[in-house]
Amino acid sequence: MQAFPKLSEAWEFGINLGKHDETLQSKDEALMLKINNLSVVVNNGEATILSGFNLDVPAGEVHAIMGPNGAGKSTLSYVLTGRDGYDVTEGSVTYRDENLLDMEPEERAVAGLFLSFQYPLEIPGVPTLTFLRTALNAQLRARGQEELSAPDFMKRARSVAKELRIKPDMLKRPLNVGFSGGEKKRMEIFQMLLLEPAFIVMDETDSGLDIDALRVVADGVNALRSPERGMLIITHYQRLLDYIVPNKVHVLAGGKIAVSGDADFARTLEADGYDTYAA
Amino acid sequence: MIHMQPDAVISHFPHKRMEAWKWTDLRMSVSEEHMGLTRAVTPRLTLPDGVSCSPGNRHHGSSGVMPTLAAGFAPVCWNIRVPTGLNVQGPLRIDNLSGGHACMFIRVDKGASLDIEEYHQGPDRRFSNMDLQVHLAEGSRLRRVVVQNDPGNAVRVATACIAAEKHSILEQYMLSFGGALSRLETRLYSEGEGIEATMNGAYLLDGRRHTDMTGHVEIAGSHCTVRQSVKGVVTDKSRGVFQGKFHVKQAAQHTDARMRHDALMLSDTTEVRARPELEIYADDVACAHGNTIGALDENVLFYMRQRGIPQARSRSMLTEAFVAEAFDDLDDAASKQSLLTRVQEWLA
Repeated sequence: MQAFPKLSEAWEFGINLGKHDETLQSKDEALMLKINNLSVVVNNGEATILSGFNLDVPAGEVHAIMGPNGAGKSTLSYVLTGRDGYDVTEGSVTYRDENLLDMEPEERAVAGLFLSFQYPLEIPGVPTLTFLRTALNAQLRARGQEELSAPDFMKRARSVAKELRIKPDMLKRPLNVGFSGGEKKRMEIFQMLLLEPAFIVMDETDSGLDIDALRVVADGVNALRSPERGMLIITHYQRLLDYIVPNKVHVLAGGKIAVSGDADFARTLEADGYDTYAA
Repeated sequence: MIHMQPDAVISHFPHKRMEAWKWTDLRMSVSEEHMGLTRAVTPRLTLPDGVSCSPGNRHHGSSGVMPTLAAGFAPVCWNIRVPTGLNVQGPLRIDNLSGGHACMFIRVDKGASLDIEEYHQGPDRRFSNMDLQVHLAEGSRLRRVVVQNDPGNAVRVATACIAAEKHSILEQYMLSFGGALSRLETRLYSEGEGIEATMNGAYLLDGRRHTDMTGHVEIAGSHCTVRQSVKGVVTDKSRGVFQGKFHVKQAAQHTDARMRHDALMLSDTTEVRARPELEIYADDVACAHGNTIGALDENVLFYMRQRGIPQARSRSMLTEAFVAEAFDDLDDAASKQSLLTRVQEWLA
């Protein structure tokens, strides 16, 4: 059962992927994200995190990146979304035929790239709904689309919150301030459902979630699966992949993809450990 | 009335070799070109029903060079009175405080309540010096909202000296955008038990503007509560100064007094000077002070940008949220919105 608004239903609220996505729809049928021979250093070149990293994610597919601690999984998510401090020394990242690395973080967001943070940030003094309406309308404006009115936004926010079992009071509080770890992760999914990104990167979204929260989060993510949307799920453990079944599973080790497999491969990894493949 | 030439007046001004003025060198900031050094200015008072005003003599409450000069140049002290038990509807508005010396005395009688809105703003190159004395009688309440928004070449000193009797309440909220030099000083003398005081403020400075928010609180009675939170935002080559002192006397047992100053430096060419002080002679009190100076959190900025909010908008949202905390407790919605609108306009 689909518990969340489908993309088609988003039209009711005046949201759609719009001209931007229509223009790029033909490209979606091919590769959505192409990472080619990527090398990344941090600390002004003192440490190399990724080296010769290659990955292709077509539209409509969910790929999982697994790997041991310190393998560079979070670095990958930050490089894709444009965080400062990660220097690309070689290679390219193409997103919908555009050079992703040339874009500012907010331009990547407008292009439909969304990162569910491993550690969502607290923003004191900024109410959750104010933050989200500002973000949504900034994206709509940048795409040349009509902004959502306050009543329409509220209607949509309340609907999504109800499905995620988020209490209305939480939406009035400053974003993530005083939230538990699980609530913060749920709030990430709430943002994801509201913003309806075209490509989602989830960085260890399962950490800190109890089993019920994990199911709610997974339902939310599965509701967004569509032929037009790509996803990259970064995780340590196989359990999230029981709920969000990926098309492919990759092991990141030594700065590159060491081995890839299908959804069942995650279970093999769980049994064998990473050492077998990372060596 | 005193008669002096401008250069002689300037020679009496406080300067950086005086401890209380070491970061706010008034003498060096004023020139003879500043208008208002040797003349009085008549405040424009919009009196609500029940509040009276008459010209009179200055009361002997304030000390210091600047209040003394104000009293010397101003021919009269404007005496404003709120009679016993009157809960005044609507604010007492005070403006036209630029280009000279002004002297006022406000007495809020027993059980009465008054809201003041002070606007300190005026034309270019003005020197302004206000001496405000306030007496809060037993059980009275005063809310003072101060907005200071001068041109970048104006110099202003505004000193408020407030004497509070037992169980009186002071709520003070200041918003300053600086000038060539602005000093907003509040001296509170808590003379009885159970006094509650909130002394919050914010300054937002750009260019080469300078604001000094100085507070001095003397607590002589028991069971008093004092809250002071000042937020500063500085950019370009501006300079923010905060000086706060709580002097808790031996009889002031069960005092609960907290002071905070937090400043955001939006560029690395700014300057913030802070001196939070506690001087405590009572042994059963809860007193604290804190001071932070920092920049916007880059991690939070990235989070906001990742959601599609442009960098400039992200910065202004975070800055507004930071400043707005100083006005959280202001329970007059219109006043609060008015202050926040000015903050938003500055950030735009």
